[in-house]
Amino acid sequence: MDWLKGVKASLIGAAAALAIASPGVAADPGLTDTEITIGLFGPLSGPLVGFGLDPVNAARMWYQEANKKGGIHGRKIKLVIEDDKCTANDVVTVVKKLVTVDNVFMLHGGSCTAALTAAQEYINREKVPYSMLNAAGDNAVIPPLKYTFGAFHGTQRVYAAALAGYAIKELKVKRAAIIVHDDDYGNANLATTRAILEAAKVEVVAAERIPANITDVTAPLLKIRAARPDVILSGAYPAPAVLIAQKYGEYGMTSIPLMQAVQGIPTPAVFARNVGNPAALTNFYHGWSFTDVGDEAIKKKYADIYKSHYPDREAGPFMITGLPSAMAVVEALEKAGRNLTRESFVAAMESLDFKPEILAGPLQFGKDRRDGMRSGFVVKYDGKTQKMMPGVYTWNGKDGL
Amino acid sequence: MMSDLLLQAAASGVVTGCVYALVALSLVIVYKSTDVVNFAGGELLMLGGYIGLLALVYFELSYPLMFVVVIVAMYAVGALFERIPLTTVRGQRYSKNAEADLVPLVVATIGLGYLLKGAVRVVPYTEEVRRLPPLLEGAPIFIGDVILLKQDIAIIAVTVVVMIALTGFFGWTRTGKALRATSQNPRAAALIGIPVKSMRMIAWGLAAGLAGIAGILLSPKLLMTPDMGNVVMLAFAAAIIGGFSSLVGCVVGGIILGVLQNFVGILISPQAMAVTPFVVIMLILVLRPQGLFGELAFKKV
Repeated sequence: MDWLKGVKASLIGAAAALAIASPGVAADPGLTDTEITIGLFGPLSGPLVGFGLDPVNAARMWYQEANKKGGIHGRKIKLVIEDDKCTANDVVTVVKKLVTVDNVFMLHGGSCTAALTAAQEYINREKVPYSMLNAAGDNAVIPPLKYTFGAFHGTQRVYAAALAGYAIKELKVKRAAIIVHDDDYGNANLATTRAILEAAKVEVVAAERIPANITDVTAPLLKIRAARPDVILSGAYPAPAVLIAQKYGEYGMTSIPLMQAVQGIPTPAVFARNVGNPAALTNFYHGWSFTDVGDEAIKKKYADIYKSHYPDREAGPFMITGLPSAMAVVEALEKAGRNLTRESFVAAMESLDFKPEILAGPLQFGKDRRDGMRSGFVVKYDGKTQKMMPGVYTWNGKDGL
Repeated sequence: MMSDLLLQAAASGVVTGCVYALVALSLVIVYKSTDVVNFAGGELLMLGGYIGLLALVYFELSYPLMFVVVIVAMYAVGALFERIPLTTVRGQRYSKNAEADLVPLVVATIGLGYLLKGAVRVVPYTEEVRRLPPLLEGAPIFIGDVILLKQDIAIIAVTVVVMIALTGFFGWTRTGKALRATSQNPRAAALIGIPVKSMRMIAWGLAAGLAGIAGILLSPKLLMTPDMGNVVMLAFAAAIIGGFSSLVGCVVGGIILGVLQNFVGILISPQAMAVTPFVVIMLILVLRPQGLFGELAFKKV
């Protein structure tokens, strides 16, 4: 009968329409026609709050700036912000909550590599795109994991390469001493530093590996002093970095340049105050990868934007470290287009290649590359002023410059 | 030259050993007078350091006055802890075995440690790593090739003064003698009219005061964080080396440990330094459980 044929045709048509429409119905979580939901997290309380509060604020500020300009392909960015306290337990809890309860499209966060690596397996199993905030530990991005993108201001290898490169090129050293921690961070630093120095025929006269919780650095510093190096390259964390600088001053070693990787000096003024001896900083250098040190205009520009978003809060020196990852996420969302999916976002991140004005070098990823930034430079710091030294040093991704 | 290196390491080890010794003295005073092992010794040290910082930087007191403030404040903390939680816990009978009843008291000291650490951590000022200005500043002093800071000399001097004061206190004062009597036999001490409860309170106050002094001396050398009390493990090792019942033993044990750690750092590896106290504890417990200056205790049955 004709009416049955009509019903049959209608049903087939409806089924076909449903089939065509199904990709839209099964859109990735956290994505609507008008919004992209991003789970943003970092240490907002606890002893490591200094690493996360300003950077989380900075990332939020960058997303708000994108929204002010009309959003990305018609979608506004909506944030769900959580505090991970920089502990592995909290990171895992926060990540699971953001993925399963808040149904975010992607994750953006983490200031402490050791803590966030605890959530890596879950994130990659669930295939949720994840951009690290300002954590820069090598083992979060090397070897690469498909859904994780990080090291937006350089890994330990990058900072080690910058310091060693400067020592060779500008200080013309022939004998170097290295002091690092006996963990993944330290191993990465030591291997890179040693490789670069040895390639330049610089003799490594002392290589001291110290525990992260060391309370007395007398023995390693005495060994370094006895080795008579032309330079001391340190990859120590903040507290041991202060102890090293103190002892270096006490033992009258200040004719030897002391070069410290950036993680040891998150807030230069606090570092100088804790060292307590201005003489210990007369020949002191540290690694850095942001142009705010050498370019007052850039420093002021971003400090002003921050002030306009957070009038009651003065931006700390770590604020800027929260920006490159947010810039990369916005750039990749733009690149992925209106037909955004988690997979298309990952593909867009993989093909990123741009240089934010705040960074020493370009942000680049690739099929087998998840560490974004490989350039750094050296800053001379006397306890009061920071002076950017000449040359940008770029790690080659293997064992040298 | 290796001999210069070892000499400098030994000098530096003596200085850090003196600080371990002061904390060890604090542990031993509590143990001798109350039979309780004080696991909050490190946190009392940490609290002393922070009170010192507050007095010196915030209230701008002079260093001598700051010392007095820290000692008085820490004495009050120790005495109050003995008078309220410990006395309450001691008043309960948990088992028929008197030694088993010490377990809740030890647990209470662990609780005190966490309480103090948590309390300090919630103060916004402690979020950042801090450093207490040293007692004495100025150019280092050279003894041959050995470099000593004025602060190092101050640490040794304060340790010597504290040892002399403690010897005088326990040897020549009525309270000191009463404390010794209480530590040897509390029941007999009570029978001859010694107020045992007050003696325990004084012992805790004294121990906390000593930990506070150690905190002031250590804070310029070791950065201040709520976790800086972890050095208590080194004090335990110092006390075990010297003998857990000997005051002189604590000082000798502390100095031996400080020097040994530096020698291990130079001759073996800095990584091995952290293990040194635990190896020493094991060796002493196996070879000479009473420590270098302690005496074996016998119990008649």
